[in-house]
Amino acid sequence: MTQLNNGITLFFSLLVEAMPFLLLGVMFSSVLLLFVDEQKLLAVIPKNVVLAALAGSLIGFLFPVCECGNIPVARRLLTKGAPTAVAIGFLLAAPTVNPVVFWATWIAFRDQPEIVFLRVGFTLIVAVTIALIFSAQTDVRPFLQDSLTRIMGEPEPATPVPAEVEISPLLKSGTFLMQSPGQVLQLDAPPAQVLAQVAVAAPPMATRLRMMVDNMVLELRELGAVLVIGSAIAAFVQVAVPREVILSLGQGPVTSIVAMMALAWVVSICSTVDSFFALSFASTFTSGSLLAFLVFGPMIDLKNISLLLTVFKGRAILYLFVLAAQLVFLLALVMNLYTS
Amino acid sequence: MTSTPSSNGLRAARRRSLPWQALVDAAMLLLWGLMLLRFTVTGKLYLLLHPDYMWLAHLAMVLLLAMGVSRLVQVWLSYRQGTGQTIRSQEHTALLPRQFSVALLIAIAVFGLVYTPRPFASETAFQRGITDVLGQTRSRPQRFSLGGESEERTIVDWVRTLNVYPEPDAYAGQVAQVSGFVTHIPGWPDEFVMISRFVLTCCAADAYPVGLPVELPPGTARPAPDTWLEVKGKMQTSTLDGKRQLTIGDPTLTEIPEPRTPYEY
Repeated sequence: MTQLNNGITLFFSLLVEAMPFLLLGVMFSSVLLLFVDEQKLLAVIPKNVVLAALAGSLIGFLFPVCECGNIPVARRLLTKGAPTAVAIGFLLAAPTVNPVVFWATWIAFRDQPEIVFLRVGFTLIVAVTIALIFSAQTDVRPFLQDSLTRIMGEPEPATPVPAEVEISPLLKSGTFLMQSPGQVLQLDAPPAQVLAQVAVAAPPMATRLRMMVDNMVLELRELGAVLVIGSAIAAFVQVAVPREVILSLGQGPVTSIVAMMALAWVVSICSTVDSFFALSFASTFTSGSLLAFLVFGPMIDLKNISLLLTVFKGRAILYLFVLAAQLVFLLALVMNLYTS
Repeated sequence: MTSTPSSNGLRAARRRSLPWQALVDAAMLLLWGLMLLRFTVTGKLYLLLHPDYMWLAHLAMVLLLAMGVSRLVQVWLSYRQGTGQTIRSQEHTALLPRQFSVALLIAIAVFGLVYTPRPFASETAFQRGITDVLGQTRSRPQRFSLGGESEERTIVDWVRTLNVYPEPDAYAGQVAQVSGFVTHIPGWPDEFVMISRFVLTCCAADAYPVGLPVELPPGTARPAPDTWLEVKGKMQTSTLDGKRQLTIGDPTLTEIPEPRTPYEY
């Protein structure tokens, strides 16, 4: 009975601590969905592949979205002709390298600031490396879903299209609405894309606000449910699994990393709140394994595989998964063996 | 649901049907806001969070209630005007079915409205490894101030002091006055109990127990585990489990009610 009570108290504690950050996360992503124009953003991204990968990884500061919001954005970036390095860098890093997640991690781990900074550092290393590996493939199309390559239209030339070379809005196929001279609104574009363009055309404030609340409720519903399930798992593991088992698993430099990465993959908790989840393991697991959880979880987990499948083919997801897992494992192992 | 105004018939039909989805969403938001409100009003938020972060929970409460109310207003307006409620799907691919997510969130909020969280107790303290030593991952502030007199130190103050200077003899004879709950440690002689507290750095998820041994005066009955006590006595060194430990000796024990904020920070 005590165990059950403890479990429930722990469960509500995680929910109550995480909910404000989830709300902030969905609020930011909803606001920016309406106010940031990726097209303009792409125009200022550097040509150099390494810089592009880094820039892509840092765009998260403008789109503070967690891993459920970033895939649609990465998809839009690709359809708008973003170089592969930018899209992959964004896809892997944005859920972690953004202000809301940084703040949440800081609150959870303020006693171990190294975790907060290494989380960002490791994520950037892994994201840029994988982005570079993927951009070695000049034509990324075979990796993408057919539906997406169709939207992308004409085959790309061997080198990535510089973002500024914009095709005239009138030379595209589809249904369009003329707006101000030189500006068109594509009606058969994906809804979020329309939304983004509509935002440029500035709809009335009330409409914009309503769309924002709509989007917030939508994301909150989905991510909130995953948060509830994740918190329940964390609470269950804390009270139901014997402490000796957890300790023997959590203190080994290798086993702890493997265990936490597997947990990250299964639990699929949103990156804005996963630091609180990790915190409940902080006393029993090695720092390297906590970092592995915090870096790997937002990149690829059970939940976002279904989302990734809307962009990539299975083979590409497997590559992403294997590369990310290996890199994170190595970095965490180095951390476990050479610090502490 | 689409909002294309196709025919009058459709519009009339829509006027009569309530936008259930939006209403359920509003209920979900309001229930979550009310759950946080209840935790705040009853003071149970102290059992879940570090006081520094309570404003975040309050902010969430206000946002949730505001979103819930704005949803209701939206529904009311569109119902009165007879225009359907449009829920945009974005490009958001959902993993969980919508109904499942909503049902789960509503169920948890209702549960939170009826369930009263309980603070951690001695059994958990023992399971989590109660100690007078702070582990690797524990909060070890670079600087912490001790209120001049030794009897003003709390249990965690004593434990932090011990971590800086672990020799128990150094504190011999100092007056200690602390409050906490009783934990029985297996293997200790009957005249020893641990007076303990949980310490939070963020939320209940990282609560860890600390404690000081108390040597009961001869002839005193051993207080039951989880009894809240105020202990006043003199510091001494005792050997427990083959280890020399700082112990509160010759104590006067006063039973106290469980404090509103049972954790230390």
